[in-house]
Amino acid sequence: MVMGASGSKLEKALGDQFPEGERYFGLENFGNTCYCNSVLQALYFCIPFREQLLEYYANNKTPGDAEENLLTCLADLFMQISQAKKKTGVIAPKRFVQRVKKQNELFRSYMHQDAHEFLNFLLNELVDILEKESSAAKDSPQSSSPEKAPNGPVQPLANGVKKEPPVTLVHKSFQGILTNETRCLRCETVTARDETFLDLSVDIEQNSSITSCLKNFCSTETLNAEDKFFCDKCCSLQEAQKRMKIKKAPHILVIHLKRFKYIEQLGRYKKLSYRVVFPMELKLSNSSDDVDTEYSLFAVVVHVGSGPNHGHYVSLVKSHNHWLFFDDENVEMVEEQTLQTFFGTSHEYSGNTDHGYILFYEGLGGKS
Amino acid sequence: MAGAPGVGPGAGGGGGAAAGLKTYFKTPEGRYKLQYEKAHSAVLHYSHGGKTVSQLTVAYLKEKPASQGSQPSTPSASSGMRSAAARLLGTGNGSKALSFGGGNGASRAVAGSSRVGGGLGTPTGLGGSQGGTNYDGKGTYIVFNAADTLFISDLNSQEKDPLKSIHFSNSNPLCHAFDPEAKEGHDLIIGMGSGDVYSMSLRQQLQDPGRKPVAALHYNKGDKDVSPNGSRCTSVAWVPEREGIFVVSHSDGNLYVYDKNKDGNTDCTFPAVKDQSQFMVAHAKSSKSNPVARWHICQGSINAISFSPDGAYLATVGRDGYLRVFDFSKEQLIFGGRSYYGALLCCTWSSDGKYLLTGGEDDLVQVWGMDDRKIVAWGEGHNSWVSGVAFDSYWSPPSSDGNGENVYRFGSVGQDTQLLLWDLALDEIVVPLRHPSSASPTFSSGSPSTHWDNACPPTGVLQPSPRMRDVPKLSPLVAHRVHADPLSGMVFTSESILTICREGLIKIWVRPEQSENNQQSNSSEFALGPASKDRAITSSNKASSSSFKKLPPVLVT
Repeated sequence: MVMGASGSKLEKALGDQFPEGERYFGLENFGNTCYCNSVLQALYFCIPFREQLLEYYANNKTPGDAEENLLTCLADLFMQISQAKKKTGVIAPKRFVQRVKKQNELFRSYMHQDAHEFLNFLLNELVDILEKESSAAKDSPQSSSPEKAPNGPVQPLANGVKKEPPVTLVHKSFQGILTNETRCLRCETVTARDETFLDLSVDIEQNSSITSCLKNFCSTETLNAEDKFFCDKCCSLQEAQKRMKIKKAPHILVIHLKRFKYIEQLGRYKKLSYRVVFPMELKLSNSSDDVDTEYSLFAVVVHVGSGPNHGHYVSLVKSHNHWLFFDDENVEMVEEQTLQTFFGTSHEYSGNTDHGYILFYEGLGGKS
Repeated sequence: MAGAPGVGPGAGGGGGAAAGLKTYFKTPEGRYKLQYEKAHSAVLHYSHGGKTVSQLTVAYLKEKPASQGSQPSTPSASSGMRSAAARLLGTGNGSKALSFGGGNGASRAVAGSSRVGGGLGTPTGLGGSQGGTNYDGKGTYIVFNAADTLFISDLNSQEKDPLKSIHFSNSNPLCHAFDPEAKEGHDLIIGMGSGDVYSMSLRQQLQDPGRKPVAALHYNKGDKDVSPNGSRCTSVAWVPEREGIFVVSHSDGNLYVYDKNKDGNTDCTFPAVKDQSQFMVAHAKSSKSNPVARWHICQGSINAISFSPDGAYLATVGRDGYLRVFDFSKEQLIFGGRSYYGALLCCTWSSDGKYLLTGGEDDLVQVWGMDDRKIVAWGEGHNSWVSGVAFDSYWSPPSSDGNGENVYRFGSVGQDTQLLLWDLALDEIVVPLRHPSSASPTFSSGSPSTHWDNACPPTGVLQPSPRMRDVPKLSPLVAHRVHADPLSGMVFTSESILTICREGLIKIWVRPEQSENNQQSNSSEFALGPASKDRAITSSNKASSSSFKKLPPVLVT
């Protein structure tokens, strides 16, 4: 059996260094579900998220009466992996995939899907479920459905008091806060508006780095000419400078590289195979904190192919100082240096079509 | 393995013809113009998937003793990612002669098997090699590697193709170093992907018309059982003032000291490294053993090494982001410090041995002071990883007053395809360090490293990573996109700047004419004020516009 052979091969490769209690399982592909499998592997090896999800599920699962939802299917899948008797193997995420297709018609077809859209959908869906369960647990009569805005502005309520959504395990892991600052160049008034995010989508440039892409994300933009800013103090349109700052850095920093760009002339999306290097460690400056948050790369979702509608997704995951390559059912160990082959290419028409697409960085406890 | 990059045709490989690349850039001294390009044309037509990164070494061959009235060759320091530091020469040493014995008893020819066809698809050919050409005379040569071949080009020739191609059948050459002070025998060492090292005579390679290494000596570190994968060589360097001794760094954090006059294939074992993060030196027990010593420097790869010009100190940079400076004779750590984040990829010394430069994965160039044993400044300007740094020992500041001694010119290249030139004016950098820390006592973590007005750190300490706001910042004088591909190294010579990209294309930027330089100095009154922004920044790329002389720097997140 091929799967058994590859599984035992991985165990032999790791030998005595196979981590205690860890499981390395491939996920079966049901026809273009690699966008799902690659994101699931990255989330599974996000240890804080995995542990909190399994703990929440164990504490809140009521046999029989609980309605099945995406949260229960995901938790079941994670449980299935973490409690498997074998150390390696293949698992079919059938119930999870069926639940995804049932709840979102976008994923119902057997066409190729975008992994970042799936990640966003999944995290937001989990937030919805957790917030409903949290408000239901409070048995509050005012339990209207909270506004679904993990990536939107925090809206103050009519009574002037901010209604903070409950902090779910998803927020604990992934949520950060951005500050949109606009400064009127006439009266120098700064208008600030906070915005939460679960991931950062950054534009990319050829032969650049994640560091410079994040710098561009936070760079200052001038509003002038026909794009002037209406200043409340000046009561008129004025030139202004707009800037994005990271107010609170998340524990897990997810960076989405915008590799798919709509080309007006062609009327379709094109893949940017730009070479964007990403380091194993990263730092973000918080505007509300005196120290910089230090991060370590633990997962990369890689898009394979020349366009958005045909291709393949794989993921690379760091587990206990080893890097593993997950290609649907296949799992193998790779050297850390292999990640450099997924930076992208300096030539537009290169044979290399494997490009890093979503990066997962985990915050290190101590801030330097 | 799935995901391995395939070999495919590359479009627009020739950098010079690519759209958007200028053939000159401006500095306060005048224009640097693209004079020559060097590349093996076959390599650029086939992308070898970045499996090897091309490195650049400049080699000066001096006159044979039989000739009279020789011109002294000009020295230079070479640096770059994984390239070794060559020795700096005073002009008085130019007349030193090389001599070759009739038969080298210790020489052992490598029995190279013929190259199997296919491979990376590079067509076989002799390149620019010419049989029977006499290379006994002096000259300046460029040594560079691509895929499984080492190339040698004439720096001053208009010929683009190399004079010589040396093919290695077993492994790929990754790094190389030339010793202009070699008294006899071999002067060129090559580090391989397999972890092996070869030494050879550059002159002998040029004289031979074949494609195999001629009279090459083979060295291996002997303890192959410890690392069965054979960790690759990352950097090689001759030790200045130590005839015949060279040092090789590896991707497993080990560094080996070899003697070129000893047999390179002895069975010698070193004790296993128990703690990968602990610095440890082990010497070979037998006097016949080669390597003579193994230094375990750090956990993870040593990415580059560099000797101080007098050979007293050895600098290493590693995957863990630390610069470490050792007293080579005493085998002791003098000091070290960490990058802002990520690995450090390159390092070099100033010609007076007072300062070091490093570059790495945080897109910064770090300047370190040897006397104070700590960070001096960070250079912001690259949009990707920094792969090569070098001081320009031929540049002198336009002003002739006393301040000239405290101004250095250095350059950096990165994977953003840019060459940046920087001026380091120490008198203006040092001043902010004497002020109290701007951090509020409320936010101080209590760590001594957060107070830059502290006294010199003690010997043997690795400093942690500073905060972004605590280090003075430099901005580049010039930012110029010089290649279409990410760069891997740069070298200053007396007449030009050499840049090389990862794919193996070399560009030679000739320095401004002397008359033009005088004219610029007279007309611009450059020395009296900050550099004109119009003149300093000429690149079409987005570049930092603030002058480095305006301090304290504005905090850029």
